[in-house]
Amino acid sequence: MSDLYAIGIFLFVLFLLLGSGVWVGLALLGVAWVGMELFTSRPVGDAMATIIWTASSSWTLTALPLFIWMGEILYRTRLSEDMFRGLSPWMARLPGGLVHTNIVGCTVFAAVSGSSAATLTTVGKMSIPELRAREYPERMIIGTLAGAATLGLMIPPSLTLIVYGVTVRESISKLFMAGVFPGLVLALMFMVYVAVASSLSSNFNPKPEPYMSFMAKVRNSRFLIPVVCLIVVVIGSMYMGFATATEAAAFGVIGSLVLAATQGSLTWSTFTESLMGATRTSAMIALILAGAAFLSLSMGFTGLPRGLADLIGSWELTRFQLLMALLVFYIVLGCFLDGISSVVLTMAVVEPMIREAGIDIVWFGIFIVVVVEMAQITPPIGFNLFVLQGMTGHEMSFIARAAIPMFFIMVLMVFILIAFPELATWLPENIRQRPGG
Amino acid sequence: MKTLRRALDGLYLGCAILAALFLVAMLLIIVAQMVARWTGVTFPGAASYAGYCMASASFLAFANALNRGAHIRVGLLLTAVGRYRRWLELWCFAIGATAAWFLARYAVNLVLWSHQLGDVSQGQDATPLWIPQSAMALGAVVFAIALTDHLLRIIFAGDHGIAAELAGEGSTE
Amino acid sequence: ETWDMPLAYPATNFHTETAQGFADCVRDATSGEIDIQTHPNGSLFPGGDIKRAVQTGQALIGERLLSAHANENALFGYDSIPFLATSFDDSVKLNEAAQPALEELLASQNLHYLYSVPWPPQGLYAKKEINSAADLEGVKFRAYNAATARLAELAKMQPVQIEAAELSQALATGVAESFVSSGSTGYDEKVWEHLTHFYQVDAWLPRNTIFVNLDAWNGLSEENKTAMSDCAATAAETGLAKSKELTQFYLDGLAEGGMTVAPPGDQLRTDFMGFGETMTTEWLEATGEQGQSIVDGFKN
Ligand code: NA
Ligand code: NA
Repeated sequence: MSDLYAIGIFLFVLFLLLGSGVWVGLALLGVAWVGMELFTSRPVGDAMATIIWTASSSWTLTALPLFIWMGEILYRTRLSEDMFRGLSPWMARLPGGLVHTNIVGCTVFAAVSGSSAATLTTVGKMSIPELRAREYPERMIIGTLAGAATLGLMIPPSLTLIVYGVTVRESISKLFMAGVFPGLVLALMFMVYVAVASSLSSNFNPKPEPYMSFMAKVRNSRFLIPVVCLIVVVIGSMYMGFATATEAAAFGVIGSLVLAATQGSLTWSTFTESLMGATRTSAMIALILAGAAFLSLSMGFTGLPRGLADLIGSWELTRFQLLMALLVFYIVLGCFLDGISSVVLTMAVVEPMIREAGIDIVWFGIFIVVVVEMAQITPPIGFNLFVLQGMTGHEMSFIARAAIPMFFIMVLMVFILIAFPELATWLPENIRQRPGG
Repeated sequence: MKTLRRALDGLYLGCAILAALFLVAMLLIIVAQMVARWTGVTFPGAASYAGYCMASASFLAFANALNRGAHIRVGLLLTAVGRYRRWLELWCFAIGATAAWFLARYAVNLVLWSHQLGDVSQGQDATPLWIPQSAMALGAVVFAIALTDHLLRIIFAGDHGIAAELAGEGSTE
Repeated sequence: ETWDMPLAYPATNFHTETAQGFADCVRDATSGEIDIQTHPNGSLFPGGDIKRAVQTGQALIGERLLSAHANENALFGYDSIPFLATSFDDSVKLNEAAQPALEELLASQNLHYLYSVPWPPQGLYAKKEINSAADLEGVKFRAYNAATARLAELAKMQPVQIEAAELSQALATGVAESFVSSGSTGYDEKVWEHLTHFYQVDAWLPRNTIFVNLDAWNGLSEENKTAMSDCAATAAETGLAKSKELTQFYLDGLAEGGMTVAPPGDQLRTDFMGFGETMTTEWLEATGEQGQSIVDGFKN
């Protein structure tokens, strides 16, 4: 029963602090503090400082501020305008129009960055102003962004898959390959949703794009060249072996600075504005990450996530029931923890359950990623909600509501994965990399 | 009073500029690491240095991010309480300042411990850890000062003085 | 009393299993007075923080690859001197020779040494046939600490720094072409997708060490201290046996994956032994008398 008591206290303090308007990072810190004081006799403050220092100075995280900076630079160039000028003639006739650029943009950028926050800030910085100018419904803009940005975790490279792969000793390249098709399918499902929802909605009345002949469309596509170059440089640097996944972010910053310079939009003031903006946004995310790292430590000391996973293990479920139980379990956990912490805190208990049930470990990695993606958009603690709030100033409740359809699409995706496991397993099984090749 | 105000604002701005410089330094270190690798030279400990820069950039910018309304929070109740907003803000800043002082106290403690234990980075840089951790401690202290500053302003001036609460660029439905 | 025990490796790693066995043993032997709760996979504190966490009482017991702290004191690197102790028997002998100095060093850091378990020997992974150090010249070699960086320098390899989490991708994209690690790393990361050769050069056998916060240790009753020491001795033995057993398992796994698994040729062995002598001398310069007595004790 002490578990129930613990859950009760955690939830009460969490909702009290978050709900009353305490800054998210500090609220998480407060909850973790209370948890530690109640459940362990270890020195709370020193443990907090140790873990926050490690979390804040980690090498793999350095890509995040760089991608944020890249987004700030691009936002201040003509690049986003140009991108829309190139894309809109092609997409304007699709049902849903330019909202698709959110999804396509996130899918492409997901191949560049390993995190969902970086994907979100870079694409959102460019697309939100353009879409607003064309009078697309705000809810649609925000919702699709929140959802599609989670593709950053599924389409390689992916931080979550790296952590999962290291944890279960599975090949990370295999996991990366496994994420490709499910990522594309999920993107497609988002697009279908946009098409359907926009046709059914009465307040979907964007400004019409001017008519353009086919040749004019092709000519207009030249505006896409800079974006394409930038993306090719960043992805290429990674796959050609010039840079690791983390370093590729530096290519992104330098590439966008070069682009801005060639377009003549790089002035001292745009440079400093982009830099200060990136510094503040990174600080905002860093404070939340610091609070989340401490909360995760606190959860570790209480043993709560592990205890719950143990409980599920004791039910002796069939394979399908087990997956459903884990789906619910991770959705609930995802409301309060970030994805990587959920994986790290529970895998010790969940991994044997999975292996025993005969579930493919690569496939389960993709299952976990979809579920962890959901966590990004579920309140009260959902990183994409936070980032979008910082970016747009909307209330979190508005953003969360806008993202609900995306949440259900991801739930649907879980069932598709269960029905068609080949989506995840086919590619890694069939692209056998030759040794040394 | 005025000098104090100016000193505090200068402190926040100074830290923010320092933070931005750390972000630039981080970029340069990562680029240098890549260039070193392409040319067959070594840059021992580059990954650690980049990490220190990131931690320093984050913490030193906390106060500035607060003043500019970049730190996010759930604003539902704040808008709902109407004229009692001041009291709720009081509560938020009191809790926030407490948490931030807690963080600051132990961030300073971390530096002292690292110094006393002679804790050294495990990377190739072998940096004594108290040096980079000092930037984090400084940032945490300034952040706590900023929150306290706003708290006192609510108590005595009735307003916390954060310019744009929601730095939004657009409408709210 | 519950003692939280942070561990860096996943629950299924043999070190973690050994530590779990130790925890169970202690619980039984102290009739539940000391209940060690393991936290594998860095889920409480990540590897790099574990020593400090136990030192300062944030956790009371933990496991760490102590050689990672060689920056702090070169003595911690006793188990990672290339080509000094190159077999399990050697590793045990070296550990015995080092134990007094190590215990003293740990005690000065508020830690009590319990036991340590070696990893399977470190071999050389490569993308081509390597017959001598000359074949290694210019190869992009993953250097992750001072010792491996020095090795790269001696063999005129091109050192590249890659963090563990990025190793797999670095190999896939050719950022790194070679590295030194135990068979388990290659097996776990499935490096046969990218590399072709594994040479059993048995460069060194790094050890994971289990230690307790000294204040907590001093606060134990004599019976509980004895119980814990006995369990530690048992765990050290089972861990060692497990490590030996797994060595072959991992080598077989690498071969099954399609890699050429072979002992080094004569020239390569001679070249590496030469580097080993240089690096042992350098280590002795850094550690002085204490280091000398360890090496003397080991060689006798
Ligand atoms: Na990605
Ligand atoms: Na969530």
